[in-house]
Amino acid sequence: MKAGERSSRFLARRLFSAVPLLLGVTLISFTLTVHFGPDPAWEQLGRNPTPEQIQQVRHTMGQDRPFPLRYAGYLVNLARLDLGHSYASGEPVLDILLRTVPVSLLLVAPGFLLGIVLALVLALAAAWRPHGHLDRFCDLASATGMSLSLVIIVIALQAVFGVWLDWFPVRGWRLDGPVDYLEHAAVPTMALIAANMGYNLRFFRAVFRDVLADPPVRTARAYGFRARRIATGYVLRAAAPPILTRVMVAIPLIVISGSLIIESHFGIPGVGLVTWNAVMSGDQPVLMAVVSFSSILFVLALTATDLLTGLLDPRSRSA
Amino acid sequence: MTLPKPEQPWRPAPETLSLAIVLTYLVAAAGVWSGLWGTEWAAISGELHQPPSAQHWLGTNRLGQDVLQRLLAGAATAFEVGVVVAVSTVVIGASIGGVAGFFAHGLIDGVATWLIGTIDAVPFYLFVAAVAVALRDWPGAMHLAMILSFWTLTARLVRTETMRLRHREFILAARAGGLNTFRILLRHIMPNLAPLLLVQSSLVFVAAVKAEVVLSFLGIGLQDSISWGIMIAEASQEILAGHYGNFLAASLALFGLVLSINRLTDRLQERIDPRTHASAHRKLP
Repeated sequence: MKAGERSSRFLARRLFSAVPLLLGVTLISFTLTVHFGPDPAWEQLGRNPTPEQIQQVRHTMGQDRPFPLRYAGYLVNLARLDLGHSYASGEPVLDILLRTVPVSLLLVAPGFLLGIVLALVLALAAAWRPHGHLDRFCDLASATGMSLSLVIIVIALQAVFGVWLDWFPVRGWRLDGPVDYLEHAAVPTMALIAANMGYNLRFFRAVFRDVLADPPVRTARAYGFRARRIATGYVLRAAAPPILTRVMVAIPLIVISGSLIIESHFGIPGVGLVTWNAVMSGDQPVLMAVVSFSSILFVLALTATDLLTGLLDPRSRSA
Repeated sequence: MTLPKPEQPWRPAPETLSLAIVLTYLVAAAGVWSGLWGTEWAAISGELHQPPSAQHWLGTNRLGQDVLQRLLAGAATAFEVGVVVAVSTVVIGASIGGVAGFFAHGLIDGVATWLIGTIDAVPFYLFVAAVAVALRDWPGAMHLAMILSFWTLTARLVRTETMRLRHREFILAARAGGLNTFRILLRHIMPNLAPLLLVQSSLVFVAAVKAEVVLSFLGIGLQDSISWGIMIAEASQEILAGHYGNFLAASLALFGLVLSINRLTDRLQERIDPRTHASAHRKLP
């Protein structure tokens, strides 16, 4: 009874703590993209407008209102999913996002998830036998991986698999069936796995080393418990909170940089390409929507991770 | 940190090679700054896509510019970006983190913690993109965006350490002796955090050099300048036609510098605290 009450108070407190963060990220998005962004009034005006005309357009667009009022208006629009229209195509921004986000997810998710699973398996096997062959290989792999850039890996893999071996298409995106999808997603998937392997291996292995050094695990191994029982029953469970947090924190970095770099380079019509075009042409409504939504989603994801780790491990609740 | 280290048996230091490599890069950059080489990176000095020769040691690119000149000039740019971003990041992070930690759980700390959490919640590349759009045509936009985004990790670490230190006897003594807060932070707390700040600055240096490559590739990095990122961006067009020289040169240059600095940072970190090994690479790209 008492424990349940404490849990729900913890839940409420954590949920409430997301509110100032949400206000913060929307304030940053608003300030950067709307307040400092390109002046939309100019888009509406012809050549050589008079000062009165500029004033007129600004007034009808509500731009002469004070900053807090404009920010509040922006929050209301965001909450109503009223994101305006793209300057470039005139299409509603919401439609653009709904069309392009699934493409990016299909493109980036396999590499992201496979990369994490592969790194977890390798890291656990390496930590199991410190200074073994696999452990040394992991040293090498993480040192190499951390010193390369996703950009370099993408270009190198494209040259090897697209030009030299000619196995996969060099650019573009087509979804006429599973074979097409696998062909087009192959190089991006390999690139994402390779680019994140270094950091993932290093972090996961350090976590597993810590957990394997815990007295209960040492005892279980000394007693000759089966490796699988120790690994799944104790090690993975004890390592879950830091790994979960790490994966959550990595999502925006990997997914967004991956989608920006790969889509702009391969010409894949996902949200990364749309964002890149918006940056290049100063398409403020699109940029504003992407920045605001990804920040809001990230705050919510972090809060969810916090709640989850708090439920898994009551010790972390006080922090 | 203040305890004497236990004696260890001597073995050849693995950091010697890394240090030598970093110094080589530094010499290359210093030569560019003093005008010895790498000044002709924009000049069209030969035919297009030449293989390596006595005149062009690493060949030429698609405009006929010398790849080696551009590579050397790129080394100077890498140090400029890395040092400017690393120093500003650590100074800002240490100041805000120190003040927040010293007045932990007060109003200042609340605002600082909120600011740190907020900035960490805006995805890095979108933040840089938004800053690039907001500050169009201002050459420092990329540096500023990196600094504004990177300082939070240093601030978090410094805040935690300051909170730990502020109840120690020597700080209490300094307060009892009537020293003001600024002086206590600068003269008594920061020296204790020097190793941590050094590790942070080298991590930020690497993060900045790597981020520059990505941002220049995306076209929101440096403008009207030369860097390894710009070389890789132009090479991405050449590579489909089978010209690998530009790409290999810039990629290997980046790889060597980042690998060596990463190794040095690791050694430094192990010396300070064997247990902080994993966590420091947490946020930086």
